[in-house]
Amino acid sequence: MTRNESSRIWGRLAAVAHAVGLGLALLVICLPGVWIVLSSLRPTVEIMAKPPVWIPRQLTLEAYTSMFGAVGQGGVPVWDYFRNSLIISVTSTVIAIAIGMAGGYAFARFRFRGKSAFFLGLMLSRTVPGISLSLPLFIIYARLGIIDTHFALIITYVALNVPFTIWLIDGFFRQVPRDLAEAAQIDGCTRWQAFWQVEFPLAGPGIASAAIFAFMTSWNEFALASQLTRSVNSKTLPVGLLDYTSEFTIDWRGMCALAVVMIAPAFALTFVIQKRLVAGLTFGAVKG
Amino acid sequence: MKRAALISAAIGPLLLASGAAPAANLPGSFPGVTIDAKLIGGKEYEPLYARIAEWEKLTGAKVNIISKKNHFELDKEFKSDIAANSIKWCVGSNHTSFAPQYPNLYTDLTKYVPKEELDKFVASNIKASTVNGKLVMLPRAKFDVSALYFLKSNYTDDAKKKAFKEKYGYDLAPPTTWQQVKDQSIFFSNPPNFYGTEFAGKEEAINGRFYEMVVAEGGDYIDAKGKPAFNSEAGVRALQFFVDLYKNKAVPPGTTNYLWDDLGAGFASGTIALDLDWPGWATYFNDPKSSKAAGNVGIVVQPAGSSGKRTGWSGSHGFSVTEACDHKDAAASLVWWLTNDDSQKIEAAAGSLPTRTAVWEWDVAQAASDPYKKEVLSTFQESAKYAFPVPPLAEWIEISNVVYPELQAAILGDKTAKAALDTAADKATKILQDAGKL
Amino acid sequence: MKSLRLGTPFLLLLPAIVVLLATVALPLALSFYSSLTPFKLTRPETLWVFVGARNYVNAFTDPVFWAAFGRTVLLLTVALNLEMLLGLGLALLMERVTRGQRLLRTLMMFPMMFSPILVGFQFKFMFNDNVGLINNALQSLGITDAAIPWLINGTLAFIAIVTAEVWSSTPVFAILILAGLLAMPREPIEAAKVDGCTPWQSFRYVTWPFIMPFAYIAMTIRSLDVGRAYDIVKIMTDGGPARRTELIWTLVARTAYSDARMGAANAMAYASIALSIVFTVYFFRKLAAARTQIAAEW
Repeated sequence: MTRNESSRIWGRLAAVAHAVGLGLALLVICLPGVWIVLSSLRPTVEIMAKPPVWIPRQLTLEAYTSMFGAVGQGGVPVWDYFRNSLIISVTSTVIAIAIGMAGGYAFARFRFRGKSAFFLGLMLSRTVPGISLSLPLFIIYARLGIIDTHFALIITYVALNVPFTIWLIDGFFRQVPRDLAEAAQIDGCTRWQAFWQVEFPLAGPGIASAAIFAFMTSWNEFALASQLTRSVNSKTLPVGLLDYTSEFTIDWRGMCALAVVMIAPAFALTFVIQKRLVAGLTFGAVKG
Repeated sequence: MKRAALISAAIGPLLLASGAAPAANLPGSFPGVTIDAKLIGGKEYEPLYARIAEWEKLTGAKVNIISKKNHFELDKEFKSDIAANSIKWCVGSNHTSFAPQYPNLYTDLTKYVPKEELDKFVASNIKASTVNGKLVMLPRAKFDVSALYFLKSNYTDDAKKKAFKEKYGYDLAPPTTWQQVKDQSIFFSNPPNFYGTEFAGKEEAINGRFYEMVVAEGGDYIDAKGKPAFNSEAGVRALQFFVDLYKNKAVPPGTTNYLWDDLGAGFASGTIALDLDWPGWATYFNDPKSSKAAGNVGIVVQPAGSSGKRTGWSGSHGFSVTEACDHKDAAASLVWWLTNDDSQKIEAAAGSLPTRTAVWEWDVAQAASDPYKKEVLSTFQESAKYAFPVPPLAEWIEISNVVYPELQAAILGDKTAKAALDTAADKATKILQDAGKL
Repeated sequence: MKSLRLGTPFLLLLPAIVVLLATVALPLALSFYSSLTPFKLTRPETLWVFVGARNYVNAFTDPVFWAAFGRTVLLLTVALNLEMLLGLGLALLMERVTRGQRLLRTLMMFPMMFSPILVGFQFKFMFNDNVGLINNALQSLGITDAAIPWLINGTLAFIAIVTAEVWSSTPVFAILILAGLLAMPREPIEAAKVDGCTPWQSFRYVTWPFIMPFAYIAMTIRSLDVGRAYDIVKIMTDGGPARRTELIWTLVARTAYSDARMGAANAMAYASIALSIVFTVYFFRKLAAARTQIAAEW
């Protein structure tokens, strides 16, 4: 056997091993999701069956039709929750990105006293668990009369996301060579123009990945939303999941149907944005 | 005319001022009034809320539902509102087990609902809705007491009958005592495919089950002086019942993590022989679309403990009016509306138990043609006779939270029943001392 | 000019400062104050009774608290390390993918799209001893005929919780490490190959140091956000049975709302904040060190 041949065989073996490994990994990752989709389509008696029914005998869209049906016949105000989730997540993401860009730029391009301490402090503001923030926030918001409004959740999620977006965008700006903007300024641009025309486009992927992380955090957040929302005015999808629990029962099938509605947009968004996402997650890790 | 005026005067100046009508004229007229309400949400509760529109039309008032959540989330919200001093709403969902926690939140409804209306409710339900002499809520048709569901096929099998008689010396029949439940559960069990029984194993649920068992064993949970007394011999016997079931693998091993939904799903999967459970499940268990046990479901009154007393931990959903409400008369009218005969019929028709005498009768008449429903209703009617609520303590839930981990520790075999109960009683006593009750 | 340079970064950071002061610092100050009182939700007047450090003394002398604290540290350590390892493996697998990248990468991030509360429900159902997917599968495959009490046995419940947590968070590591791998210059690897390094050697001495910072970034992000695990545990076991899976967060949440003893709960919450800070600062340090090393080498 020539050396060439043996290395080709090894290469093929490695490719097979890689495919198998990847397949297994993806199976584990996707199985729970597939199971949720399946559960939403199967009658409850089959989901809870014992001995288990592995291959669905009948599929039905009942859970979806009743979910979108009238309140009182098993309907849940999905559209209201969806709209709230969308408004709150998108707005808070946009604001967090704007604030993050300003802050990230400040960290990347300026020297000032106490910079690293300040940066760490910013990060640590994120360590406070939702559970210990929820009541004081509630009391403050109740005083301001903004309980159960979009505004209350938006500002809260902005605060949750700002440290992270600043960090990510700071890293990205640091990778954009300083000379570029300086060259533009020499060419007669103002600093402002230089930023928008030169640095901002280059930082696109960083901003995209910060945005998707911020969006997912807001889209999925539960602990604070459950405390700060009350009705269809502001309840988001994760809080709406609990509509399927009552004192004695959990309608797992219905919950799965709502979960599918919840996951679908996040999935689509990730799919669209993922190329920039991976490119954007460098945090300036390489450039210190 | 004179009499009407007298009644109004007795009912209170507030009613007079707003020109509310006395008894005969409920729901009354409140044009321009807006009532903010926080109601328990969930699919099964919705049909009742559809009736609110009609009340709005009749009274000219408007109802604004500002929060709709499940009970535990709502409880959290009420507590947050009290803490933030932001009680700006009028009507709230309530539950007899939770009501004592908010002693000052809700107003006494006897002032706003005429006595002849209150008399139409089952007396024991009204009593359970009264905290410190205040009628803090009107019960809706969501009265909960448990009865024992069972799989009929287990009692028609001659081989099983014979084997059981040989082993235990008495005939195999649906149990009437908890000792029989224990025997039969151990007898029927065939893990992991079939279990004799199951119980809710955590939080307030296991504490409630333990509480009723203490009573059935002839003990007190809280004694006459208000001191926790469940570590008595009766208490140890009560806990030992759960310990023995678990030790003998007569319950699913996961039972200490089960809550009501898991129990319902378990019995509906056809793999549980006996299930002490709530009335809300009756329809679900016998519906082939949701349950494998359909057609095979029997029901008997909850069994008795060694003292001869039956268990009967019960609770009821209801609606309350806040003390801070500006239009208590209108709010009370809404609460009355949501719990009146027509409203209760809607809820009872869906399978839950009413709290008004007339609706009970109506319900039984409705079920005449359906033997299963008839059996269920007459059983629960009997069950309700032995019902008793939890001790009316503001600290009940807090006590539950320190007691249940100890109960679980005993059930799982980490501690003896006595040791677990002694620890739990110490902790419960400390809570009551801290609250200035002892 | 000099004052302007001092002022600009401050102005740029001002929005961030304002938002964080209003929604984090202020509530935190409030909760710190309440931790010095016997504040009970249902009796708001108790907020004005000052008891000094009593809540802290009570918490720190309570074995239940320390058990929960220890278990939380253990959970974090085990979960973060596993996530790191699995994330690394996943990223290495992903890096070699040539076709269908877009779909595969999206699928890889699938768990991130699940709200933690949903993850909790999902794994609670999967680990159910009687009708759960996992026991059903094990029994159908003939691996066991017992109903394994996943959420009851202390060790198994810990494993179940770690599984849920790892499943939901590994993609964070994977995607960051993947970003690192893709950002890595090709030449050093090629050079290593030419020098006759084995694949393991070139991974160990070339690739690994380069992606280290990314791993630490992921660690930092995760330790910032660990409170997230609360939603999962709350639904799966809520600390039970018999406190076998009690974590600091479940203990705090139950004390705060169910018991309504907010003052005492806030005192315990500070311990969890301290824990989070320690983990974060530790990884931040590591990150800085790894960065300097790379900067020196490349």
